[in-house]
Parts: sequence; C-alpha cells; structure tokens
Amino acid sequence: MAGRGPIEVEGVVTNPLPNALFAVELADGHEVLAHVGATIRMGFVKLLPGDRVLVELSPYDLARGRITYRFK
Amino acid sequence: MTVKLKSRDEIAIMREAGRIVGQTLEQIRTMVQPGLNLLEIEQFVSDEFRRVGARETFRNYVPNPRYKPYPSNICISINDQLVHGIPKDRKLKEGDIVTFDLGATYKGYVGDAAITVGVGQISEAARQLMRVTEDSLWAGIRAARSGKVLNDIRGAIEDTIRPHGYGIIKGYGGHGVGRAMHEEPHVENFRQRAKGVPLRAGLVLALEPMVSLGSPDVEEGADGWTVSTKDGSLCCHFEHTIAIREGQEAEVLTLA
Repeated sequence: MAGRGPIEVEGVVTNPLPNALFAVELADGHEVLAHVGATIRMGFVKLLPGDRVLVELSPYDLARGRITYRFK
Repeated sequence: MTVKLKSRDEIAIMREAGRIVGQTLEQIRTMVQPGLNLLEIEQFVSDEFRRVGARETFRNYVPNPRYKPYPSNICISINDQLVHGIPKDRKLKEGDIVTFDLGATYKGYVGDAAITVGVGQISEAARQLMRVTEDSLWAGIRAARSGKVLNDIRGAIEDTIRPHGYGIIKGYGGHGVGRAMHEEPHVENFRQRAKGVPLRAGLVLALEPMVSLGSPDVEEGADGWTVSTKDGSLCCHFEHTIAIREGQEAEVLTLA
C-alpha cells in the first residue's frame, strides 16, 4: 500500500514553548507540538499565540509537525 | 527520524513474507482476463493466505486516525484509479489496465508489492506507460546500494519517468517496511532538496513509483480510500520490497 507524504493542515498557535517550539491547535481539534520551519526563520517572522499557521505533519507521527507558513 | 535497520534473521522472515506476496501476485496475473470479477480475486487472496499461514496486512488497516479501516485484503485499481481501489462487484474489461497492490504479514513481518496488468489487448499508450513505470522501479532498485543516499533512489526513479513527459504523483510514495507496513523513511518518487537518509545494509524499503499519462494531480474518492487522477488520465503503479545489502545490489524480497 502506498505511503503518504507529509500532510499540510491549518492550525492556530496556542502556546510558545522553549527552543522555538509551539503548541498548535489544529482545525480538527488535535493539539500538536510544532517546531518553527527554516523558511519562517529565514523570513524573520515572529510567531505569537493566536496566529493562524500551516503545519506540515508526518504520517509517521501525527503529534509533531513543522510550521511552514504564517497567514496574514 | 528513526530508521529501523533489520537484522539478517529479520530479513530472512521478510524474505518469506515477500515470497508469499510475490507468488500470490503472479498467480493473480495468470487469472486476469476480461470478465474476471474483482471479488473473485479478493476471495483467492483470502484462501491463499489461509493456505500458507499469512495474515492479510491490509484488512482493517488504519494508516492514521483520519482513515476508516481498509475493508479488504488487496487494492485493485483500474485505469484512472491510482491506488487503494477497494474490490467491489465489478468485472475486468478488455483494454483495462489493473493494478494489484498486496501485503502479507508472516511471522510478524510485512511484505508489500504491486503489479499492473493489461486485460486482453491494451492501447500502445497504456503499454508504454506500464513499461516506463516498471522500468523506473527497477532503476530505483539498482540505485539502492549501501553508501548511497535516499535521493539517489528518488533521482533514479524520476530520471526514468520524466523524459517521457508523464506526470509523477506527489504526496504518495514508497516507505520503510518492517513489523509495520509503513515505517520511516517516506520515499518520494522524485528528488528532494535534502539528500535523505544514508542507505545501509539492513534498511528495508518498499519502492513504488506512481505515474500518470497526464496530470500528476490526484484526489481521494468518496469511499475515503480510492485515489484517482483528477483529470481522469490512465495511471500506473508497480512496487517491490527490497533489502539493502553491503557491497552488492539490493535484494528484492517480493519476487515470486
């Protein structure tokens, strides 16, 4: 059976955590641990609670993700 | 990323599981003809696995909580269906191209493979699509050597397909195999920016190129499983489970 690649979902940042980690609540209610993606860092984007973001999840571990975009 | 390397003993068991998958698929290939009902194939797999003592890996499989359990023991995808077609009361027609994707669990370890077969006389375009897809799988297998990196496999697959102008499906791909069907790493069918995990002896991967005659965009159907091309193009899929070895070509575990 085919493996799935990373899945992008929308969520809202709830808590900042140490080491550039954030708790993000996804559209379906699950909360995941997401780290700040390299493209966000390179764009000098600051993330605050309440920001709507795109999180990339690996199908191998749906509880962790990577923040890849912050919506305006 | 935690990549589990398998011991020689574990690979010996996976060789058995792979052989069951390979042999069952080859028998299915001989069964293919116009008029064959998909449910007969599902029944055949059920009987065959019971005979050899294998568990139906796909039955009730849940890749992640977003999915309903898979209701069958095999995926049968016809024409514009790419993967995860659920067998239903439907007969094969002359000119169809059908993909059978099968998994077997033997003594706790999984084998995963897929073949695409033409039903009766098929179009030259379909024949060419199948040939290129299968070639790309073997190119990936040949690139799977200890000392190389995952991107070498992805590149070999991609470079075989691109010159023909076909679409390479995104979002679905190969994967590690072990006690679970889907393990790290995920293996896209085209190069990534990052090199990917280094290939070492003990790494067991399922390589599965997925190619479309037209657009590479796909969508999931109403049944929550079947994936089809958005523009209705014919698509093809071949898969083998391989074990990377030191100093020689990878061993294909899912041969008959």
